[in-house]
Amino acid sequence: MSFVTPITLAQEGPAPIDLGRDQISESSGIWERAFFGSQGFDSAAQASDGLYMLIFWFSTFFFVLLMVLMVYWVIKYRRRPGVPAPVSPSHNTLLEVFWTIVPSSSLLVMFFLGFWTYMERQVASSDALQLEVQGYTWGWTITYPDGTQPTWSTKYASRQNPDGSVTESTQPTPIFVVPENTNIRLRMISSDVIHSFWIPDLRMKMDLMPNRYTGYTFRSPDLPSGEDFSDHWVFCAEYCGNYHSEMAAIMRVVSAAEYRRILTEEFGEKPYVETGEIVWRNQCAICHSVDGKNGTGPTWAGGVFPEGERGLGYTVRFNDGSELVRDEEYIIESIQYPQRRIVEGNYGAMPAFQLSERQLIGVVEYMKTISDRGGELRVEEAEAAIEEGAEASEEDGSDG
Amino acid sequence: MTTIDSQHDLAHGGHDHHEGSYLTSRGSIIADIVNWATTVDHKKIGVMYLFAVLFMFFLGGVAALALRIELLDPPRLQVLADGTQAITGLNITPALGADPEDLAQNNLYYNRLFSAHGVIMTFMFLVPSIPASLGNFFLPLLLGAKDVAFPRLNLLSWYIYIAGSIFGLASLLFGGVDTGWTFYTPYSTTTDAEHWRTLSMIMAAFVLGFSSILTGLNFIVTVHKLRAPGMGWFDMPLFVWAVYATSIIQVLATPVIGVTLLLLLIERVLKVGIFDPGMGGDPVLYQHFFWFYSHPVVYVMILPAMGVISEMLSVHARKPIFGYRAIAFSSIGIAAVSFMVWGHHMFTSMGELAATLFSALTFLVAIPTAIKVFNWIATLYKGSIAINTPMLYTLGFLFLFSIGGLTGLPLGALATDLHLHDSYFVVAHFHYVMMGGTVIAFVGAIHHYWPKMFGRMYDERWAQASFWLVFIGFNVTFFTQFFLGTQGMPRRYAGYADEFQLLHQISTYGSWLIGLGFLGHLLTFVTSLVVGPKAPPNPWGGLTLEWEAESPPVEHNFHQEPVVRHGPYDFDRVVPPHCDEKDFPLPDQDEVARVH
Amino acid sequence: MTTIDPQAEPALAKPKGMRWESYVHGHHWRNADDEFDAAKLGMWLFLSTEVLLFAGVFVSYAIMRMKYPEAFINGSGYLDVKWGLTNTFVLLASSFTVAWAVRAAQLNQRKVLIANLIFTLLCAVAFFGIKLIFEYIPKWSEGKRPGEWFSYPYAHDPHEHIWWGIYYIATGIHALHVLIGAGLLTWVLVRSGMGKYGPKNYAMVETSGLYWHLVDLVWIFLFPLLYLIH
Ligand code: HEA
Ligand code: HEA
Ligand code: CUA
Ligand SMILES: [Cu+2]
Repeated sequence: MSFVTPITLAQEGPAPIDLGRDQISESSGIWERAFFGSQGFDSAAQASDGLYMLIFWFSTFFFVLLMVLMVYWVIKYRRRPGVPAPVSPSHNTLLEVFWTIVPSSSLLVMFFLGFWTYMERQVASSDALQLEVQGYTWGWTITYPDGTQPTWSTKYASRQNPDGSVTESTQPTPIFVVPENTNIRLRMISSDVIHSFWIPDLRMKMDLMPNRYTGYTFRSPDLPSGEDFSDHWVFCAEYCGNYHSEMAAIMRVVSAAEYRRILTEEFGEKPYVETGEIVWRNQCAICHSVDGKNGTGPTWAGGVFPEGERGLGYTVRFNDGSELVRDEEYIIESIQYPQRRIVEGNYGAMPAFQLSERQLIGVVEYMKTISDRGGELRVEEAEAAIEEGAEASEEDGSDG
Repeated sequence: MTTIDSQHDLAHGGHDHHEGSYLTSRGSIIADIVNWATTVDHKKIGVMYLFAVLFMFFLGGVAALALRIELLDPPRLQVLADGTQAITGLNITPALGADPEDLAQNNLYYNRLFSAHGVIMTFMFLVPSIPASLGNFFLPLLLGAKDVAFPRLNLLSWYIYIAGSIFGLASLLFGGVDTGWTFYTPYSTTTDAEHWRTLSMIMAAFVLGFSSILTGLNFIVTVHKLRAPGMGWFDMPLFVWAVYATSIIQVLATPVIGVTLLLLLIERVLKVGIFDPGMGGDPVLYQHFFWFYSHPVVYVMILPAMGVISEMLSVHARKPIFGYRAIAFSSIGIAAVSFMVWGHHMFTSMGELAATLFSALTFLVAIPTAIKVFNWIATLYKGSIAINTPMLYTLGFLFLFSIGGLTGLPLGALATDLHLHDSYFVVAHFHYVMMGGTVIAFVGAIHHYWPKMFGRMYDERWAQASFWLVFIGFNVTFFTQFFLGTQGMPRRYAGYADEFQLLHQISTYGSWLIGLGFLGHLLTFVTSLVVGPKAPPNPWGGLTLEWEAESPPVEHNFHQEPVVRHGPYDFDRVVPPHCDEKDFPLPDQDEVARVH
Repeated sequence: MTTIDPQAEPALAKPKGMRWESYVHGHHWRNADDEFDAAKLGMWLFLSTEVLLFAGVFVSYAIMRMKYPEAFINGSGYLDVKWGLTNTFVLLASSFTVAWAVRAAQLNQRKVLIANLIFTLLCAVAFFGIKLIFEYIPKWSEGKRPGEWFSYPYAHDPHEHIWWGIYYIATGIHALHVLIGAGLLTWVLVRSGMGKYGPKNYAMVETSGLYWHLVDLVWIFLFPLLYLIH
């Protein structure tokens, strides 16, 4: 059985968090609070709670009706010595048809409501922020689109005791951040046995399979007013062995700006080459190979190929006939503004990618490792190139 | 093959010579043991099953109490102010052999506890419970027959059950398994790889399946071929209908778990790779196979319970059961639909289309059950209702099973199940149906049939007091778990976040009440066996054929072959056998004729 | 096979307690007809459980085939249709003789009964021999083995071990049934020799025969699935 490397842990991560549930909206009833404690955080979650409460009230209606009749009749018709039972018919077709049809039709409603809400989760929105989730015994690796991985963690069920001691679980609980009010898509796989990624506040879970990708989409909530972040449990909900009960994570919702800051400043500690490789794997590999084979886009490997020269340090010919030696500046331009110049023989299929500075540098650094002519490039030069690119885009804006 | 052997009929037709009770001793202890161990008498086999399954229930219950205690205050690591570490919390697993310093081991032993609890309770207790014990004892009596169709096969089933249980208990004795009762791959094929105990446990489930198949087969043939003269299909008591439907499921579903477990064994031993994703196999295939059996099997557990409920309800309410045919047909309906809904256990691991289909079918299965409940409640109307232990248990069943069944609905609806799946909500749901449904009906039925089986009465006050303990304790234990589940507490967790602690503690206290209640029952039964007053043949005034036999029945059940002259529930027309009209007065017969 | 004249059978000696003439049905039955029907119904039910057991195997086959069609096409290419076909005929012949045996018991032709049973058992032996000598042993020694044991060096498809897993499981479970069936028929043979079966008592012959037909039937499905479909 193979295990992925567990994430590195920052011991100084944020202080233990109060995940108590007091965020439920005022409008919800006492039962809804009793059941859920906190409000589901996207429209599908709220629809799911709505359905739950509908079934609950439906069930309560029938249950109370039946129990009241039961108790009433038991008392009213209790046995009295010497008195025969009153005579009553032992079936009634009309009544029986009635109590078959009525529940059946209400069950149909429940089914459809459940189905619609379920489908809402299955439809991936195109602008979703995609997180890669890898489950292993016993932990989660979350990877952001740029390859960054969370470095924060805490101890599950941590508790400060009055005597100054701390009670905690043994396994680290990673904390990952997501921006508020954003569509998020989880793409999940397991590296060993089956796990399940349950976000109770989202009312949603899905199994992680060892042999295929699964996933779901949701919308992260708005931050409660006045708060910098809100925390939400993630539990492993498929039994997976000894530390199944400690295979948790905490999803922290933060503002978009804070999200970007945390990703770059707090989590983004990876060496450039590694960052670049992760970006390539997660986002570019569908079209760009690194082994010289042409895909939808040109390969990143450096060298002379039947279609022409490819890779960093080699010459590129454009559709308009112009030529250029690929350098860091050109690479960064092609990522941010792929439509400016189109490589000969291609038709401009590539969308623009919004990568962080670290990721851009990472990609360039990674490309250097797969081209024999990519040697001398230095990080400062790449940084300069990024700045130039930014200036250029401002010009674009004023032109348009 | 059409000759009717009239000679033989003369020789065997009427057993007019006087026979003793089936419990009559053969003279010496040895002779008795030999006699019981080799008996083909369905009554003795039924009684042996009864004690065996109650023993299993006891074992499973003890495991349950232990795991609930662990959840009272799960052990955790404590880092003291000076930096040293200690373990806090209530650490009970060292009592089972875990290293007290090692929390991973604590978790392992907790996992073994709930696995032992689940495996014992389902495979060794609940599946055989009502059909194999009460079914064996009463099916022939209810049909007016001398025995089941294949008495020797019946004995074989019993020994297969014993063999399977030995495999299981051996596994438990040597440490047990940590797979859960569902044995999901690839966990179950890789965990504890060097040891044989997981194999032995899978083997146990496999072997127990054969026992279940053979019993089911035997009962189906019995119902077809051994009904008393004059008993048409719609003169059969509803318990018989229920056992019949149960047997059909057992015969049709159990082979599939047989081959599944066989594949699992092969997979574990030979690593053929059918379920192992590492070798190109498919773990979800295992889940499909497993639930194809294990969903129908939950109806194997509940249908016989519904059968005894129908019996107890009409007898103790002295009311013809309302909607006899609807109840009978809904048993068959449940059996049929039960084969099409297995996917509702796998909504989080299957595709959208399949999930949608299974969700829709799941709601379908709720309809025949709802019909039954309505009919039961309607039966109480204008009855003459005796409040005794069997009746209390019947009412308790209606209360608890309704909650259990109704909470199946949010599990069947796709959107809500994605939240509730594998949470304590599911745990609460299935305890309400399995324990609140089947076990409650079973215990009630043991009281109902106790006088017939052992010829002695039990103490009503003790039994009723124990009922209330069980009933209240049960609700305290498991109603809280619905809230745990909706709030996000996953099942099979050896520890949990602080916010769940209060509810877990309430639940644990409740389980002690249940334990106390069952202890009360145990004492009641033991006392009854020793000093209980002798039971009359028909203490409750039942009309079905078993009440015509003596208490306890004679070796071949009836002195003469009974002939069916009235329906099983014609309480408003017939004075029960062995009873006096004074105690069971009939209403005005003209009015009865008018109403029917 | 020599024809056996039922008339040539010597007149049976005075019925002893053991022989079919003096057979008495179980005391809990109302008459012998009910008992006989029950035995048959029981066997049919049991056969339905067997069908479902094999259904599980067939479903695994179908699912794995869907996942790895190439492996299955290659895999079935390794099998020798010649031997599969031979075994099919062997089983078909044995099914025929077992049916004849039942008929013989009904007509009180004891020698025919015994001869047919012996022929059926010989078929079972032949089936096993062919399976072992021409299929299992050579394949296993070439490394065409299931799952982790697979070591065939010239595999065309990376998932051929799955095919072999299914192959060995399906034919293995079937072979186990052949074995059980042969055991049953041996028992029937011995008791036929003792004169226990005749027109008044042949339920055991009939039910064992039914079981044997099932074994045959399963093979009729296995053969095309494993050997023929490419
Ligand atoms: C005795 C056993 C038993 C019975 C009878 C049932 C009955 C039902 N069960 Fe349950 N179930 C289990 C035992 C049982 N179950 C077990 C053991 C598990 C978990 C296994 C595991 O994972 O370990 C499980 C899990 C389970 C799941 C999977 C949950 C998950 O893991 O995600 C689902 C989902 O659909 C479900 C649904 C149902 C439904 C719809 C019924 C229906 O048949 C219920 C029908 C009954 C009623 C509806 C109530 C009575 C009727 C009335 C009071 C009248 C009014 C009603 C209406 C008008 C509708 N059950
Ligand atoms: C028949 C089925 C059955 C029954 C009756 C019970 C009974 C009980 N169950 Fe269990 N349970 C299951 C079937 C059952 N359970 C299954 C299938 C699982 C899933 C396992 C898995 O996940 O794999 C499970 C899981 C399960 C869990 C979840 C564990 C987890 O997910 O981490 C819990 C937790 O509270 C629990 C508790 C209890 C308790 C407190 C009882 C109590 O009600 C028990 C009370 C009983 C006694 C205390 C015994 C007393 C007996 C005598 C004194 C003998 C005399 C008796 C007579 C004479 C009548 N059970
Ligand atoms: Cu991972 Cu449970
Ligand atoms: Cu189910």
